[in-house]
Amino acid sequence: DRSFHVRYRMEASCLELALEGERLCKAGDCRAGVSFFEAAVQVGTEDLRTLSAIYSQLGNAYFYLQDYAKALEYHHHDLTLARTIGDLLGEAKASGNLGNTLKVLGNFEEAIVCCQRHLDISRELNDKVGEARALYNLGNVYHSKGKNVANAGTHDPGELPDDVKNALQKAAKYYEENLSIVTELGDRAAQGRAFGNLGNTHYLLGNFRSAVLAHEQRLLIAKEFGDRSAERRAYCNLGNAYIFLGEFETAAEYYRRTLQLARQLKDRAVEAQACYSLGNTYTLLQDYEKAIDYHLKHLVIAQELHDKIGEGRACWSLGNAYTALGNHDQAIHFAERHLEISREVGDRSGELTARLNLSDLQMVLGLSYSTNNSMMAESHAVENSLNGGRPRGRRYSMENMELMKLTPEKVPNWN
Amino acid sequence: QPLAGGQNAELQSKVVPSKQILHSDNMEMEPETMETKSVTDYFSKLHMGSLVYSCTSKRK
Repeated sequence: DRSFHVRYRMEASCLELALEGERLCKAGDCRAGVSFFEAAVQVGTEDLRTLSAIYSQLGNAYFYLQDYAKALEYHHHDLTLARTIGDLLGEAKASGNLGNTLKVLGNFEEAIVCCQRHLDISRELNDKVGEARALYNLGNVYHSKGKNVANAGTHDPGELPDDVKNALQKAAKYYEENLSIVTELGDRAAQGRAFGNLGNTHYLLGNFRSAVLAHEQRLLIAKEFGDRSAERRAYCNLGNAYIFLGEFETAAEYYRRTLQLARQLKDRAVEAQACYSLGNTYTLLQDYEKAIDYHLKHLVIAQELHDKIGEGRACWSLGNAYTALGNHDQAIHFAERHLEISREVGDRSGELTARLNLSDLQMVLGLSYSTNNSMMAESHAVENSLNGGRPRGRRYSMENMELMKLTPEKVPNWN
Repeated sequence: QPLAGGQNAELQSKVVPSKQILHSDNMEMEPETMETKSVTDYFSKLHMGSLVYSCTSKRK
């Protein structure tokens, strides 16, 4: 009859639209894929499993497009639907996806609940693959949680408050549990991912030797797969760990490989980051000519990419390196540029650093304080506003000049 | 300028960058994995019957 025919046509067209959405997303065109999925939702279907699959893919597509609010909405619809129809595997998947999305949005506690649900159901269904994936996701949530809290403070890796340490230790435990399952399953790609993030967790915990061991494993697997992006990530992470082991030559070697791969992969942003890391490493090696060479390369790319923050950092680093070489004209040029950019981007602490660098340089060059009174007064005002009105450490009047400490407090910890 | 020599030495000593500031923020994480569903997981059985299902199976 007629109504059956209409309903049949609608089901078919919903399905066709969804299939086209799937095809487009698989081909990497998530933007177009989303349009087809949304059209499929508009047409509608009476089959709730099909609708669940559409919601799930819409959630993932929005996740890849970095529209996390929309991703959250659709993964939530999918979870509700899966529960309604009693699809336990579907519920596990929806919970995992919701957990990943909540993690990116910084809602760690709810993310943990969702990822734990993914894990519990997978165990109930004796689904080893699902269990391993849930463990990896849980590791990622605890890693992000730890890193997020750690970023709020200013400490080197290894010097961490207890809550940060707890979260990171949990992350390490989940990655290790994941590793034992995926090793059993012989899933090398999953092992690669777990080793990479386990290495980064050890790095934040200050276990730099363990970090190196994990990243070496990650590197091995990346080479096995010919995955050059993963290989580049491993080199960069190895470089970072060797910096903290005080082995700067080895770090420089890994950063050089990072740079080489970044150029091959034509990733300018990563190339800039590698140049910056190399500049810093050569500074630690006290080879300031090479440091300047790499910082200049970083500066050029930062300008090309309109990365003002990167440009400011490059100028600061260049100012320091030229100061070390005794080239005060260039040092002042870059310190002034650093000041300008800090003002432009509203970086108050960068602005203060630049002012202090400039005043130090002007003092070295023998410029009298009286000619720079206005700048000093301004610096003082900036510093007071940053320190809640209390001046600390530095004094600006002529009679107290001997109290000026130009060396930062943390120098003894650096080597 | 009598101060200059001493100040110069001190200026040089502050060139050493803080490793924390410079390196910890460019950690390279591995990609996330999302769980996937597909309409073809269900529709073969529910909508098109076993004939289409067997055809798609053969094509693989």
